Amino acid sequence: MNENTMQAIASADGEAEALASAVSGRPIAIQVNNLDFYYGKTHALHNITLGFPERSVTGMIGPSGCGKSTLLRVLNRMYDLYPGQRATGEVMFSGQNILGSGLDLNALRSRVGMVFQKPTPFPMSIYDNIAFGIRLHERVSRSEMDGRVEDALRRVALWPEVKDRLQASATALSGGQQQRLCIARTIAVRPEVILLDEPTSALDPVSTARIEELLDELKTEFTIAIVTHNMQQAARCADQVAFFYLGELVEVDSTARMFTAPRESRTQDYITGRFG
Amino acid sequence: MTRPVFSQAAERPQRSSVLALRRKMIDKLATGMSWLAMLIVVFVLGSILWTLLKNGLPGLTLSLFTRSMGAPGTGGGLANAIVGSLLQTGLSILLGAPAGLLTGIFLAEYGADSKLARTVRFVSDMLLSAPSILIGLFIYMVLVEPFGHFSGFSGAAALSLMAMPIIVRTTEDMLRLVPVSMREAGIALGAAKWRVILFICVRAARGGIMTGVLLAIARVAGETAPLLFTSLGNSEWSLDMRRPMASLPVAIYQYAGSAYQDWMQQAWTGALLVTVGVLIINIVVRVGIRGGRT
Repeated sequence: MNENTMQAIASADGEAEALASAVSGRPIAIQVNNLDFYYGKTHALHNITLGFPERSVTGMIGPSGCGKSTLLRVLNRMYDLYPGQRATGEVMFSGQNILGSGLDLNALRSRVGMVFQKPTPFPMSIYDNIAFGIRLHERVSRSEMDGRVEDALRRVALWPEVKDRLQASATALSGGQQQRLCIARTIAVRPEVILLDEPTSALDPVSTARIEELLDELKTEFTIAIVTHNMQQAARCADQVAFFYLGELVEVDSTARMFTAPRESRTQDYITGRFG
Repeated sequence: MTRPVFSQAAERPQRSSVLALRRKMIDKLATGMSWLAMLIVVFVLGSILWTLLKNGLPGLTLSLFTRSMGAPGTGGGLANAIVGSLLQTGLSILLGAPAGLLTGIFLAEYGADSKLARTVRFVSDMLLSAPSILIGLFIYMVLVEPFGHFSGFSGAAALSLMAMPIIVRTTEDMLRLVPVSMREAGIALGAAKWRVILFICVRAARGGIMTGVLLAIARVAGETAPLLFTSLGNSEWSLDMRRPMASLPVAIYQYAGSAYQDWMQQAWTGALLVTVGVLIINIVVRVGIRGGRT
């Protein structure tokens, strides 16, 4: 058990109420309305409506195949890579429906970054891994680039570990370091939203803890959506939690309420480990 | 009461030891067979190398590298053939590698399973296994006959047709090994597809792609048939690729079939040079792969 859940359980309704309003009081960064998603003929998401509050962490939980990763991949139009996958409905991001045609996808993806389950360092140096993303969208001088790279690496607490070998290959780093590098690479582009698809499921507990701490700092600046299989992780990191089941959004609420007084029995059953 | 338990316990290890013995026998047999097969292959290769060294080394003199081919008994060398081989192989790779690379990239990244890609892949694989003499004849028809004379260019063109499908295949295979997650990570940063392919995928696969290019060089450097109807051979020193050009394989072919002692000696030495060259390329590939893995 961890502190957050303990507290949440201990304080029961009173504080949970306050937290819920604290989250819902924030402006919404991304609003999903009546979203349906299809893999070919398979109907994977059913009429999803969900708001992602600005500068807070939205945790998405649910058993495998429930559609949580699918939703994440809608938010940066990643599904566009694969013919046969399509989404209907509306995803509003800074006043624009990003499902619409004619959208500059590369610009969208520079504003909505993504970190994957497995660390994906590019086959280049640590420095170039960070610089790659920046160079895509901005022209910066050599010295400014140095600063941006250092800043990104400091934010993920990787700087002390790699500052003497920035030109070394990124693939030589440990798994946890690689994942932090990937997060640094994402934030270096200065997005507004960061999507994390089970970012710690391939990592050891120590690396996991570091990344969770990192999320706490990052949410002061970024809107974060994290898919996780780990209920404790959702409880520790998220401000609001959305529970998905068989392609439907069953329930969404503040983390405290979700883990103490869920409204739906399916949510209750899942978080107490009765299935999934 | 305790007796049946005892007897059971005594039986079990016995049964499993019979099984284990059988397994060990089969294991030994299989290991022995693969050793035997390996020894046969190594023996053949070793015997080739040994014969080449024994017959080729005595002719390995300085004049071989400084003098052009000459009439029997005049003390000619193989300098023009060596240079001719280098020029034609080099040009063939300059022509074949970019075309092969781009085709491989198209097949792996853009064409995927489209009809066009399937056709291109099929044709490329056909070319890979086409008899090399046919490729020589083809180039003869399109580059030699219309111009009225044999040339180094047409030799290089024939060799590039041999090299291209090898490079196409390895490039496509190596790009397919790059995990989808790497592509997605590039796309997720807002990189355009061509950037992801060029700066991430090709980079990730560069070791394998280089290996393909080197193997293609090794393959075409020893080809004789495509050159017989294209660059023909030339006994004089010439760097002009518009004219007939000498090459090591053709020189070997010519000399080995002759009745002159010194020509036959040079054929052996030429064969040794080609083999050692190909061997060096292969070793470079091996070392390169090992270096690339760490």
